Amino acid sequence: MIPPRLTSTRQPLRQLQDRIATGLITAGGLVVLLAILAIGVFLLWETLPLLAMGDTLALAKLSPLAWGTLKAALAALLFAVPVALGAAIYSAMFMSPRLRSRIKPALEMMEAIPGVVVGFIAGLILAPWVERHLASAMVLILWLPLSAALAGLLWQWAQTRLRGRLSFSWAGVWLVPWLVLMVAIALWLTPWIEQQLLGGDLRQLLDQRFGIDYATRNALIVGIAMGFAVIPGIYSLADDALADVPSSLVEGAQALGASRWQALWKVALKAAGPGVFSAVMIGAGRAVGETMIVLMASGNTALFSASPFEGMRSMAAAIAIELPEASPGGQTYHLLILAALVLFIFTFLVNTLAEVVRQRLRRRYNQMEATS
Amino acid sequence: MTPVSTAFRRFHWLNGLWPWLCAASVALSLLMLGALLSLLLVRGLGHFWPATLEEITLRSGDTFAGHAVREVALPQQAGDERLYFTGNRDIEGARWRWVAIDEIAERTQPVDLIRLERSPWGDFIGRLVALEQPDQRFEGDAAWQRLTALLALPANQRQDSQLQLATADGQTVRQPLANVISAQAPNAMSWWQKTGAWSEAVWLFLSEGPRAANTSGGVWPAIFGTVLMVILMSVIVTPFGVLAAIYLNEIAHQGRLTRFVRVGVRNLAGVPSIVYGVFGLGVFVYGIGGSLDTWFFSDTLPSPTFGTGGLLWASLTLALLTLPVVIVATEEGLARIPDAQREGAVALGATRLEMLTRIVLPTAAPAMLTGVILAVARAAGEVAPLMLVGVAKLAPQMPLDDEFPYLHLERKFMHLGYHLFDTAFHGEDVQAAIPLVYATALLLVLIVLGLNLTAIFLRHYLRRQRGNEC
Repeated sequence: MIPPRLTSTRQPLRQLQDRIATGLITAGGLVVLLAILAIGVFLLWETLPLLAMGDTLALAKLSPLAWGTLKAALAALLFAVPVALGAAIYSAMFMSPRLRSRIKPALEMMEAIPGVVVGFIAGLILAPWVERHLASAMVLILWLPLSAALAGLLWQWAQTRLRGRLSFSWAGVWLVPWLVLMVAIALWLTPWIEQQLLGGDLRQLLDQRFGIDYATRNALIVGIAMGFAVIPGIYSLADDALADVPSSLVEGAQALGASRWQALWKVALKAAGPGVFSAVMIGAGRAVGETMIVLMASGNTALFSASPFEGMRSMAAAIAIELPEASPGGQTYHLLILAALVLFIFTFLVNTLAEVVRQRLRRRYNQMEATS
Repeated sequence: MTPVSTAFRRFHWLNGLWPWLCAASVALSLLMLGALLSLLLVRGLGHFWPATLEEITLRSGDTFAGHAVREVALPQQAGDERLYFTGNRDIEGARWRWVAIDEIAERTQPVDLIRLERSPWGDFIGRLVALEQPDQRFEGDAAWQRLTALLALPANQRQDSQLQLATADGQTVRQPLANVISAQAPNAMSWWQKTGAWSEAVWLFLSEGPRAANTSGGVWPAIFGTVLMVILMSVIVTPFGVLAAIYLNEIAHQGRLTRFVRVGVRNLAGVPSIVYGVFGLGVFVYGIGGSLDTWFFSDTLPSPTFGTGGLLWASLTLALLTLPVVIVATEEGLARIPDAQREGAVALGATRLEMLTRIVLPTAAPAMLTGVILAVARAAGEVAPLMLVGVAKLAPQMPLDDEFPYLHLERKFMHLGYHLFDTAFHGEDVQAAIPLVYATALLLVLIVLGLNLTAIFLRHYLRRQRGNEC
């Protein structure tokens, strides 16, 4: 097609339009970037008056909150990291590709579930249930990995025909009913065993013999609920990192006689280590800043206690509750903004670190693939 | 060979179990997701199914009517106890009753038990004895038919009537019809009628406002507020996000600084939402809103107009929060366009603006759409920042009405997520509110997951299409 010839009088107009548009886009882009920058500047500016007040109350007030934040994040990571990394290893190395293309988006959907919904289930449904069935909950935590291992043993001893039907590359799906069955067995047996062995309720026993208080909404509940929210993020990034490991590495290791697991453990995991690390870091960032789940599932008591059965109050939750009532310019207001600044800096640093590590890793993979 | 490695050898078969633990992690995640979703589905939708009413006679001779809610083990002794919803708060003072199962002498399901929804006082469960009108008196079955006929009319056309009601233990009460919202005789209903009643209840939940301290009624104002806020937010975030992405990808010099900025933008997606809430409160509400008040609304001070949380500030805050999402998604789309297309356009004499508007933007449009949908999904589920910048427990006025200027940006609004939080944690009768909380949670999850699924399919479709082209 021949482009229509333009009269020479329109030419400068087009140039002008182009200049203006470029200027506008640049201005718009810069405004956005400045707005983003403004967040940091605002938070810093609003915490300056605290320096002028110059008393040590800030530390005393913020430290239980910082402790609560760390405790909640730690509890969540203790649950989320093993599950998410296990899931990532399985889906990147063992799962059938067809299944993986379905399961991965499904697990990533988990991340989209709003925090209020998770918090509501945790705070109002899970917490009272665990309080009534503490022994069952504790047994389940041990029983689930055991039942997975049991499934493995049974499968290895099973006949080849059955193995063909239930292939390991689909185990992520057909283990679901197995786990349901195992959970049902555990829930059915535990009260009886509890009665026989402990002669009563585990919670009363803890209280009477060891003097351990049990709060309905505690770190255990927060760990499970926030772990649930953090798993998909860690899983998705770790899975990407593992799947991006050049397949020549793993295949080479297997060709030298390593089993699939050895190749994974000694080669792939080492190569993808930084990627996995950055996935955990991003998960930690999310766990530190999550507000609604901690607010609804933690009981919001600003305590210094390491017990998993007691509540805590995190910085994010304190901001959400107290800031609307704090008078602007007052000390509480500035303190809470300091808490927000701490959260901002922490998550920003953690995420930057993770991003830098990931970019470096990607460059290394590219080099590896280029040389092989 | 060291002893450690022989020990390792001996338990070599244990190594084969590690992959199973990994497989079980996937299974566990799927199980938790499935359990959460099915719990929400069953409880959220099940609440609207007309519950069978029972008449319970205890060993002590006491009689009451209600529907069973759940059973738990009795504390300190063997056996279970059951929770009944009995209604009749005006008569008995409580709406719930725990009964040990061993104490129940008889459970029957008489067809003449009815359930009235009233305001005030909530539900009544019992029998209809008579319906009295100034000139007429209906009894028994005729009364019930007359009642349903009256309730089918709009509220202002119903004749003045008095209901004579009897509770299960024989007390009679009089109830003016004006306070009755709906009546149901679930035990007499067929399965088909119950389905009808169920769909009607679901519809009322979606289309009505909350009543009786959030324990009945619906969530319409919250849906409306959420949607309005999200629309305003997308109107703000789309142009700015797209502009910033075009600037970063097409105009800015691709140097160290740009890469730095890109990492920064990406990381803002990981900054906790509450931090954006703090920024919105400090800058938008107190800063800009406070100044607007002193300049334009000084006659109403000290009561603030824009200097308090409101729709505009909430939308702006969430727009800032979702900006990185839009920028990242748009940039991905822009980066996937081969440079040859841009160069071809420029080689044919197009200016940069023409190249952008005719070649680049149309090709990247689905990516932008994906970004906006993801942003909307994130904003719809976000609650923490809204608690700081303008969400309300119960907004007396809708932010959109027929009063000039129609859209009231300074008004507070209701939001599904906050409504859920407030009902579940600050309600006076949490027990009664929980079924509705389940329904609200289900609705919220469906909205957010639906939006996310749309984005995923769009992206998938886009990749496939692009794959064919290249």
